[in-house]
Amino acid sequence: MASDTDVSLLVIVVDVNPIWWGQQAHREPEFTLAKCLDAVMVLGNSHLAMTRSNKLAVIASHCQDSYFLYPTKKSADNGGDESSSGDGKYELLSATNNQMAEEIREILSKTEVRGNSTDTLLAASLAKALCYIHRVSKELEVGQEMKSRILVIKAAEDCALQYMNFMNGIFAAQKQNILIDACVLASDSGLLQQACDITGGLYLKLPQKVALAQYLLWVFLADSEQRSQLVLPPTAHVDYRAACFCHRNLIEIGYVCSVCLSIFCTFSPICTTCETAFKIQLRQMVKPKKKKLKQQM
Amino acid sequence: MASLSEEVLLVVKKVRQKKQDGTLYLMAERIAWGPEGKDRFTVSHLYADIRCQKISPDGKAKVQLQLVLHTGENITFHFANESTAVKDRDAAKELLQQLLPKFKKKANKELEEKNRMLQEDPVLFQLYKDLVVSQVISAEEFWANRLGGVNNTDQALYNNNKQEVGISGAFLADIRPQTDGCNGLRYNLTADIIESIFRTYPAVKQKYCENVPHNLTEKEFWTRFFQSHYFHRDRLNTGTQDIFSECAKQDEKGLKSMVIQGVKNPLLNLLALDDNTLDEGYGVCSPQPSTSVANRTVKESSNSAIIKRFNHHSAMVLAAGSRKGETLNDQGSETSSTDGNSRDSDCFHPPVKKAKLQEATEYDDLQGENRPKTVPLNLKKSDRYAHGPVPLQSHQYTTSQDIINSVNYIHHEMSNYKPNLTQVMSSTAASSAIAALSPGGILMQGGAPQAIHQMIPTDIQGELKHLYVAAGELLRHYWSCFPVNTPFLEEKLTGHLEEMLQAAYNKFHAWQTRRMMRKT
Repeated sequence: MASDTDVSLLVIVVDVNPIWWGQQAHREPEFTLAKCLDAVMVLGNSHLAMTRSNKLAVIASHCQDSYFLYPTKKSADNGGDESSSGDGKYELLSATNNQMAEEIREILSKTEVRGNSTDTLLAASLAKALCYIHRVSKELEVGQEMKSRILVIKAAEDCALQYMNFMNGIFAAQKQNILIDACVLASDSGLLQQACDITGGLYLKLPQKVALAQYLLWVFLADSEQRSQLVLPPTAHVDYRAACFCHRNLIEIGYVCSVCLSIFCTFSPICTTCETAFKIQLRQMVKPKKKKLKQQM
Repeated sequence: MASLSEEVLLVVKKVRQKKQDGTLYLMAERIAWGPEGKDRFTVSHLYADIRCQKISPDGKAKVQLQLVLHTGENITFHFANESTAVKDRDAAKELLQQLLPKFKKKANKELEEKNRMLQEDPVLFQLYKDLVVSQVISAEEFWANRLGGVNNTDQALYNNNKQEVGISGAFLADIRPQTDGCNGLRYNLTADIIESIFRTYPAVKQKYCENVPHNLTEKEFWTRFFQSHYFHRDRLNTGTQDIFSECAKQDEKGLKSMVIQGVKNPLLNLLALDDNTLDEGYGVCSPQPSTSVANRTVKESSNSAIIKRFNHHSAMVLAAGSRKGETLNDQGSETSSTDGNSRDSDCFHPPVKKAKLQEATEYDDLQGENRPKTVPLNLKKSDRYAHGPVPLQSHQYTTSQDIINSVNYIHHEMSNYKPNLTQVMSSTAASSAIAALSPGGILMQGGAPQAIHQMIPTDIQGELKHLYVAAGELLRHYWSCFPVNTPFLEEKLTGHLEEMLQAAYNKFHAWQTRRMMRKT
């Protein structure tokens, strides 16, 4: 059993891509960004209410930058200067909610129209989350242990250009024993599936968006120790097949350059990425090629 | 069979076995009987196989000797020589009585070893039950590879499990004489102390063996020992009638040989050590040569005598510890084994010596770095790394109009955002989500892959494990036959092993059908 002072940090990365959410509002008016943020707040409040030593951070992932919704610099400066809500709510929760609302309002009101970047900067948000976790772990008291996890709520589609950064982030999380959970609203994301598989988190694609809060509370509220006691949706099979660099087709068996590690589906004597010449004699080269072709067929 | 190159200890003629006349031969390791006139032995048994012997009672007409083997078989020899039957029989019986105990130990030892191994290792025991008891492998083959280790390495291991107890350096001082009241001293000798004395001073042991119990009783011997100057601090080699004066001379000889041998470790120079203090002259005066006998004072000489004795005593204790209980049959090796150098000299054979010198003279940190040579990376198409090995996905393009519309909509919507946490979702939505998440719901269809070890009862798991281990053992036998060098291995492979594998497969099949029948 974790001792009373063990800290459990939950970082929620919310995808607030305005283009996707704007289109979503037309597609499905009963589930808008406001509803989504409400559900996220419910989860955050529940997490804080579970144990006094639980910590929360919320990052909004925009297509231009990623912002911290909570905790923000202003909250650190002001302290307890907020107007208390009149309904007798736990002050921490009301302060959190107010901050988050204020921040998101500000961020979205400053959004400008830009055509070239319409993808959510998810890799950057992930990196920010990892850095925040690292910073908090340094600020712990002596003898305190911290368990952290990141929950990614993804709306828009994957951006292929962020692959390298994303994978670096995933492996960094794995090394730090940070779980990455994913709650996907619309289209499946191969990157997040890999992230969850590698770090040991849960991947969930919602069948119903309106019940987001219910899914969040059921599946993602418990931390890793408690999850073993619950019956949760089973992990699906992850397709780890790589795509060759020449045709971008998924292959099962291929050739890898030993210098630059680029993957090819057929043999060529010179790697096209790094121009290394492979010193294999012609005869031997022909034989394995034939064998491979036979196998693939 | 009739290998007459063996040493024949006893020949008894006119011995009948199974109503046939013949001759009984007792050899060094076995007993054999051959019928009259023939050159071969029809009956031959190793002493190791014989459990015990029995003789017919004296009153009976027939003079017989019966051998009971470990396997339970009985072999009876009838001594038919009219005149010397009883004598022959008794001679054979006595010889057997002397020989059997020697071989008994060996046979028992092997059995004991086998039993011990089976008891200590439950996996081995299970394997034995599965394979040998159900006759898939013969017991011989089972023990073939395992006991080979027993005779060589395990024996040594077993011996090493009981560590040798060393000798306390203070054993002589521990004797601690007590005053007897009236001017006598009482020395308490325990068996441990006696053993320590014998191990450390083999000369004393030799004297003990020579004199006790022929000339002196044990008590007298020890009284003389303690009275002699050999034991006491100040040794005066006055050549008295002491039986121990020889010991003293031998000790001197041993000490001298030790000093002559010197130290074999090239990294240690004992002669450079000196006991100088800078008392007079502060290093300016040359030190007095204190080793010349003429300049010695009386005090110095008695001190040096004590120191010599201490050194000798320590050397003997160390040498006794490293001798590991050898019997001191050879007197000649006594002095040579008194130096602690013997192990050192082994340590300084050329390759070990070189390694030690290298260790002492070279520092790893100061060596140059030897990193392996690497090829520099020179990317021509680095944009491939940007997307990585990800397949092409159909990209959905949004028109700029869409973008503008979406952004404006969001502006508008979120400018008045207030969290409304009391109405996050409707109860119908929540209950349908719960239904989807409960076992049997949409999301739980994957069938949580239950761990197999939870689905199968433990006894079936256990049986399967045993079968698996047994199959592994058979495979080990199979692979040990390769490379096939001898016709014996070939025959084993094709004939014997195939049978074994077939038997194992049948066993597995039987188990499988049994299990399936139980289920249905």
